[in-house]
This record gives sequence, C-alpha cells and structure tokens, in this order.
Amino acid sequence: MTTNSGVSTAVRATELRPLPRARNGRRRNTFAPYVLLSPALLLYAVFLLIPIGYAIYLSFQGLRLVAGGAFGKRQQVFVGFDNYHTTLADPEFYSGFGRLAIYGLIAVPVTLGLALLFALLIDHPKTRAKSFSRTAIFIPYAVPGVVASLLWGFMYLPSTSPFSYISKTMGGGSIPFLNLPLLFPSVANIAIWGGVGFNMIIIYTALRAVPADIYESARIDGASEWQIALRIKIPLVAPALVLTGLFSLIGTLQVYGEPTTLSPMTADITQTWVPLMKIYRDAFTRDDLPLASAASVLLALGIVVVSVLLLLATQRRAFGGNS
Amino acid sequence: MTPPLDRRQFLLGASAIAAGSVLAACSSGSKGTAATSAGAAASGPSVAPASGGAVTTEKISLNYWAWGTPQDPFVAAWNKANPNIQVKHTDAGGGTDSSAKLLTAARAGDAPDAALVEYTTLPAMIVGNVATDITQYVSSLKGSFSEGTWGQTTFNGAIYGVPQDVGPMVLVYNEARFTQLGVKPPTTWAEFATVAEQVRKADKNTYLATFSPAEFGNFAGLSQQAGGQWWKVDGENWTVGINDDASLKVADFWQDLIDRDLVSVEALFTPEYNKQLNAGQILSWPSALWAPGVIYGAAPSQAGKWAMSRFPQWTAGDDKVAYQGGSAVVVTSSAKHPAEAAQFAAFINSSAAGAQIQLSTGQYPASVVGQQAAIKSAPPVLMPQQKDFWKLASEISAQTIPSISWGPNVNVASSTFQDAMKAAIANKTKLRDALAVTQKAVVADMAKTGFKVTG
Amino acid sequence: MTTTVPTRPAAAPALPAERTSRGSLPTVILLVGALYCLVPVAWVIVASTKTPGELFSTFTFAPGSGLFGNIGDLFDYGNGQFLHWALNSLLYSGGGSALSMLVSTMAGFALAKYEFRGRNLIFFSILGGVLIPGITLAVPQYLLLSDIGLAGTYWSVLLPSIISPFGIYLSRVYAMASVPAETIEAARIDGAGEFRVFTGVAIPMMIPGMVTVFMLQFVGIWNNFLLPFIMLSDQNKYPLTVGLYTLLAKGSGEASLYSLAITGSMLSIIPLVALMLVLQRFWKLDLISGGLKG
Repeated sequence: MTTNSGVSTAVRATELRPLPRARNGRRRNTFAPYVLLSPALLLYAVFLLIPIGYAIYLSFQGLRLVAGGAFGKRQQVFVGFDNYHTTLADPEFYSGFGRLAIYGLIAVPVTLGLALLFALLIDHPKTRAKSFSRTAIFIPYAVPGVVASLLWGFMYLPSTSPFSYISKTMGGGSIPFLNLPLLFPSVANIAIWGGVGFNMIIIYTALRAVPADIYESARIDGASEWQIALRIKIPLVAPALVLTGLFSLIGTLQVYGEPTTLSPMTADITQTWVPLMKIYRDAFTRDDLPLASAASVLLALGIVVVSVLLLLATQRRAFGGNS
Repeated sequence: MTPPLDRRQFLLGASAIAAGSVLAACSSGSKGTAATSAGAAASGPSVAPASGGAVTTEKISLNYWAWGTPQDPFVAAWNKANPNIQVKHTDAGGGTDSSAKLLTAARAGDAPDAALVEYTTLPAMIVGNVATDITQYVSSLKGSFSEGTWGQTTFNGAIYGVPQDVGPMVLVYNEARFTQLGVKPPTTWAEFATVAEQVRKADKNTYLATFSPAEFGNFAGLSQQAGGQWWKVDGENWTVGINDDASLKVADFWQDLIDRDLVSVEALFTPEYNKQLNAGQILSWPSALWAPGVIYGAAPSQAGKWAMSRFPQWTAGDDKVAYQGGSAVVVTSSAKHPAEAAQFAAFINSSAAGAQIQLSTGQYPASVVGQQAAIKSAPPVLMPQQKDFWKLASEISAQTIPSISWGPNVNVASSTFQDAMKAAIANKTKLRDALAVTQKAVVADMAKTGFKVTG
Repeated sequence: MTTTVPTRPAAAPALPAERTSRGSLPTVILLVGALYCLVPVAWVIVASTKTPGELFSTFTFAPGSGLFGNIGDLFDYGNGQFLHWALNSLLYSGGGSALSMLVSTMAGFALAKYEFRGRNLIFFSILGGVLIPGITLAVPQYLLLSDIGLAGTYWSVLLPSIISPFGIYLSRVYAMASVPAETIEAARIDGAGEFRVFTGVAIPMMIPGMVTVFMLQFVGIWNNFLLPFIMLSDQNKYPLTVGLYTLLAKGSGEASLYSLAITGSMLSIIPLVALMLVLQRFWKLDLISGGLKG
C-alpha cells in the first residue's frame, strides 16, 4: 500500500515491536498487562471458554431411559460419537448448509456491493443529499432483527404487500415473495437491508482517510470519476472490504432469526431450513441439547475453517496480527 | 439433587481451573416436607391434602408460570384468600416457548413451583423430569372433572396435573357470509367438501376453510375423531399409530380438498390469514371451543357475524368429538412446596370461584362445576347473538372421546409433522406420506431414547 | 447531522463548474438507496397508527385512526410492562456497553502496548470468540449462571454482554494507532506508574475509540434477543426485544397482538435512531479501517 493517512502511519509505526524496554526496567511492566487483561480474561473464561467446553462435553452425552418404564425419567449418559453420527447422517443438516450457501451467495456480495456503491456515491464530489442519504441508509441497523423480519413479512405477504398491491392494480398477480425461487432473495434482502448501512459507514470512512491530492492528480490527468473509483478508490479500501466481508460471512453462517420469524408465513421455510434453525429446534423444541451441541461443534468448526480460508486468501490483512 | 451430578462436577471443575471462581453448591431444598396448609379452606376448594397434618404458619411464596388472560385474576383471588402462601405469576410465553423454558429451567433446578402445560406436552414434561407425581395431593379431585378430562393428566395410574381448560372440537363459521352465499354449516365431512365447493363457486376470492401444515394438534384431533390413536401404552410397551388407517383417511380427505383448490393452504393467524379473515374470505375454522376468542382477537370487526356449530362427522348422525388444545397445571420437580403448589392448582382449576374467573375471561373450564356454571354465562363476544352457545358447548363437551393418550415425544412428532406437511405442500407430494415420515421419526426417537415401542 | 465524518486530509475539490447533469445520476441512485432503507421504517410508523381492525383491512400505507389508542393499550398492557421493558433495555444496553467499553479498553491497551508471554495466544483466542454462534453458548451459559444463582437476574444478561471480542479487537487497533509508544515512555520517565500511564495517558487518547466500542455494544445489546430470552423468566426484567416477541408469540387460544407489537417497535426504534443521530459525530468507525492500512 502506497498511501497513508495519519492514522495508518501511526499504526505502521506502532505495529512494530514496541520500543526495547530494557533500559527502562522491563520488570516493572510484568504484571501490568495481566492486571489490565484480567477482567476480560475472567469474563472470557466464564462466558465463552467454559460454555464452549461444556457444549463439547454435552455433545458426547445423550438423554436415555435408564430405568425403563412407559414414563421413565431420562438420564444423561455418555454415548460416545452417537450425536455426531446422527448429525452427519441427517440429510437435512447438509441441505441446511446448501440453503445457507445459496442465501450467503446472495446476501454477502449484495450487502458489500451496495455498501461499496453507496460509500462511493457519498464520496462522489457531485452527489447531493449526502448526509440525508447516509443517515437513511444507516437507520435499519438500529432495527432489531425480530422487528425487521416482521415488517418485511408484512411487505411480502400477498394480502398486505404494497408491491403485490401495485402489481395487482396493474393487472398482474400477487408476487410470491415467500415461495421459491423468490424466497432466497427475499430472506437475504432482510439481512441486506439491515447490514448495508453499517458496512457503508466502514467503507466510507476508509475512503475519507485517503488524501484528496491523489484524486486531484488523477483528475488533472483526465481520469473520470468512474475511473478514479474503479482504479484508485476501490483498491485503497480493499482491507476494509476484507473486514466487512469477513464479518458478513460470519453473520451469514449464523443466520437464523430472519427465517425463523418468516417460517410460519410460508411452506417453503421448514424448521431446519438453515443449520442454526435445526440446532435451535433440537435444543429447545425437542429438548435434545446433546444433539444440538454436536451440531453446534460441527458448525463452529465449519465457521473456523471458512474464516481461516478467507483470511489466508486475503493474506491476513484484516487482523493485523503482529507476531 | 435435581440436575445431573456429572454436569455440576464438570462445571465446577472447569470453572475452578479456568477462572478460579467459586460456584455455590446447589441446595436441593427442603422438598416435600410435610407442610400442607389449610389456609385455603375459606375459599372452599374441595381439596383434601393427603397428609392433612401440620398447618404452616410461616409465610411462603410460590412461583407460577402460565400464559393467558385468566391467570392474573386467578392469582389475585388466591393471594387474597391465602395471605401465607403468596403466588407470583410469570408469563413465560405461550405453550411451546413456555415448555421449552420449563425443560431448561428444571434441568437447572430453577423451574417455578407450578406451571401451566398443554396436554400435548405433558408426557414430555414427565419424562423430561419437569412434572412430578401429585397423586397424593389431588387424588380426591377426581370427581370434579369428567372422566375424559381427568384422563388427560393421568398416566399409568399416577396424576401429573390438574386440568385447567379443555377444547372440545367445534366448528366456528362466518354465519353472515354463509347466509349471503346460501350455504348451511356442514354436519358431515362429505357436506363440508360440498360446501367448500359451493363457496368457491359463489366467490372466487373466498374459501370455506384453511389447511395449515403447522396445526399438529388440530390434525391429531381430526384423526382421533376418525378413530385413530397416535400413542397407546400397555404396561411398558408403546404403540405409535400416527399413520394408522383413520389418520390416513383424514389426510386423504384434506388432500382431495387441497388438490381441487377447495381450501386455502397457509398457516393460521399470520398477517395474510388475518387479512382474509377480516375481509370475510375465510369462512370457517374447524377447531375448538376457545376459537371465538382467538378469531375476535385477530378480527374484532367480525363480532356478531360468526357462530358455532357441532363438529362435522364422518357418519351422519354420529356425535364423536375429540379435544384440541387445553392445558393443565403441573407441579414441577423444582418445587420447594409441592403440597401448597398442588393446592393452588386445585383451587384455581376446580373451585367455583376459579370457574367464574375463567368464564369471565372467555376460557372454557375443565371442571364440572365450571362447565355447569358456563351454561348461564353470556356467549363469547364474537357471537353475542348465539344465546345457546354454552348450552351447546356443554352438550358437546359431554360427548368428547375419553382416554386420550399423548406420547413422551410429542415435541418430536409435532416438529417432524410440521416440516413434513410443509414439504408435502411445497413439493406437491401426498399428505399421507408426511404422516409416514412423522411415524418413522417418532418411533426411531422413542427407540433411541430407550422406550419399548412398536409401530 | 452535519459533521459526522472526519474531514479529508486535504480539502475536497469543489469543481462547481461541473456540478451539472452528470452529478444527478449518483444522487438519484443514492436517493433510491435511501428510499429502500426508509420505506419499511415508514411502514412501521404508518402501521402503528392503525387499530387492530384497520391493520388487516385497509391499504398497507394508508394511515389509520388508532395511534393514541395503540399507545394507550401498549402502556396499559400487563400493568405497564412496556415501560419496564424500555427501562430494562436502557439498563442492559447502557450498563453493559459502559462496562464492556472499560474492559475492552483495558484489554486492548494491554494487548497493543505491552509485550508479554502469551500475548498472541490470548489475542487470537479472544478473537476466536467471534466465531462461535451465540445459540451454542446460550444454554451452557444459562446452566452455569443458574449454578451460581444468577439465572433470571439482571446480572445474567448484563455479565455475558460485557465480554466483546470485537470490542477488544477494536480497542487494540485503536490503541496501536492512537497512543504513541514515545508518549508512554515519556510518562514513565516522568515517574508515572503503570496505572497512571493507563488512566492519565492512554485513556484520554483512546476516547474516540472508546465511544465507538460503547456505541457498537449499545446497539448490539439493545438488539440482542436470544440471551435475555433464555436467561429471564420474569417479564418485568425483559428488554424490549423479548417483550415485543411475547406480544407476537401468544399461546394457543390467544391471537398475536400485532398492533401492540408494531406500535412497540415504532416506539423502540425512534429513541435509538435519535440517539444515533446525536452520537454519530463521535462514532468514528474509521478506526476500523485505520487499522487495516498496514
């Protein structure tokens, strides 16, 4: 990368190893970082590490009738890899990943594409109504997912949809938003609607950090705004795109709220539509926490693999690990 | 110790290593100590606690999870009559959410003392170690309920709950639109199909009824009316019959209506359905006695236009009626005062005072005294013109099929059923195949858990 | 809402002469985007004016006559539970994000400015926390908190909200970018202890980053559903998300209270949007991208 804003210069400077501290008493600093880290580490252990460990432990357990009887009580017993076998032998688990992939292939690129487009447009010197648009596009981020899904449900259902209303008054039929093949774009749209603003702000602020004189000289050379956007701006904000892409991807793999809320409204969304919905159903509707834990462990492993692949592909830029 | 030991040991060990935090040991509580209270005697529920012994003078408090409108007045009436046993009501969500939370809370030993549970999930609550055997506290209540009602909370001779409300199946229909279209409420299923056809011919935007893939309990009731028995227990042996002949007959009947576009296919009470209901485009709901309140909630403008009639029969002249919905109050394994919790359940569900509260909030009581009182009360707001509503209701209620048996994994059955039905509708495959899928999943799950099962 | 974004290092070229037809296409596209985002929000506002009957009988975007009736019903529901839910949301979001900001700043500063054994292990382990789906952890967290007697209390929602791998990551990036090592050294030479270095030198320099972490956590906790849904069973402790959900997910024998839920959504979105508009000027998300320039 050739250009630096003030911020990135500072990062560059400090990302290197901190100054050798030997001359000023390395000993004094021994405890300080641990003290500063201790609240975070304690909370991390209690609310993430132990629950993760417990979920792994649970995935090897099963609720079984030990004493027998028509209404015997189920007990938790060790069942080895039973839950993993069950999960991996369940075609619905794979179908769920398949649907997740279709959903993600729509949601992630469109979210990022629109975010980038809007960021570039706001950064465009001739655009008007910038601050209004920026605020408007950002507002959906403040709408809770449950509410967003409900209101889009109203937008989609034939009798209450304004789009279907328009289509019907123009002589067409109602638009089957919640049936295949429109179903995937419809569900993805809810996530896109909620996520574009946040990602747009990240990309836009990255754009603002680029010194204007670069564009200036390009303009003098006769480059159009479109060429400047394509050849200069987009490469410059590539790291921000990687970061937003990673978080969108993780968000996609963990999607469940939107389809769950829409599920009663259409026959095309089952309770196992995406992996997390199946996990939720097993854990809460079916009271089979061990099976849900096994599927969770597999899903988490999947997320780790995908994230690592993405980071490798983008040369680990996003996380700036300085080891 | 209610929760499994191994979990606690795991958590203790793990947290000691990882965080060094000290976890308080679980106190399993002074469960089941003799204390039974005579405090409620004044309000006169016909409950005779088994031991009948010591009277508590210390103040205790009970937690009660339940949904629905009568719960707050119930609790207020009890608290007024029992200053030493104060009940706190919590709405932990509707039947499905509430039972999911109960299972989790009971595992942690945090469940409330008493909780409202749907009849369908009661067996799952028993094997999930939420509901406890309260035979010793409430066996004397048997005469307060009809045999069919009492049977819904009795399993292998043990009583696990006090029935609160029941839902004998009835047909509620849009009388105004029926008259307008010149059709009569069907008395048999054959007539139902004919009326459905007439309605479609008369108004292309209107359907007689809706088939919802999500309505597991409704379908179970329809099957039961046709003679099906989804779960049967004989000693230790379970028989599952979700795709028995009667159920397949019901599936094929609706299949035909769906194939001929004579019923709409969608979930109930979505914005879409509500819109059609308000527009008078859905003309009936074959469901249960509590239906008028639900319809009124979604379409208040329809008040005065609807009416209730007997459920359609397979054979003309029959009077077979099954239950749909309804719930009972259980005492949980976490209860510190099970005797008092059972006493509370008995008071709200079997006393005359409790019945009055139920009737004033639109709930159909499970108790005999309540159903008798119902005859004199005003019809539901959805159908104020139907003066004989409660009289008809009590006649229907007296005919309900006794001995209903739900299995220990109704939750597996209902979730499989809903997805399989949805798939059948989305892929245009047969409803009867969805029953076969459900049957297979239920039997496999029971076998895996360790029940002796055939089916 | 004018000065929300850091100014460009050099003044943007004005070029007023070219501000003609070619500039209108980007504006149009941008306004279409804004419309796309605002239409559903407008719908919530319109729908909240409809009585339960009107909601399902009039045209989607036709205003109704029931706004004040709905608001009245909403505040009457369950003896005024809506107000409880709103205050609880403020408590969880405000308290949780303030504590989260503090914990994240301390951790981020330590990870950025000290070299110590296990630093990278700790950093990447914490970062890995982002990858675990919340549902997976919710039940184990419930059982754990239940064992220490906290399930069902305000703490059961507050405590797990404090730890934020993303917040720690952001704080570390910001500390690296904004606190020069020379300044720290200078403070030490002047005799400041490590505590003084943190409170007197690091915190003042990290305030913009702390505000960002606060805001992100605030919105995150405000919108969180699953954790409070599982932890709490007393509806007077519910936050808005769970409360609104219970209006929709009624048991059999009761109709969903769509009108109340929609009115509640409208009321719960508006203060959050207003808060964001006010705080946007502090919301310097550029620190995220700033950290990416390496």
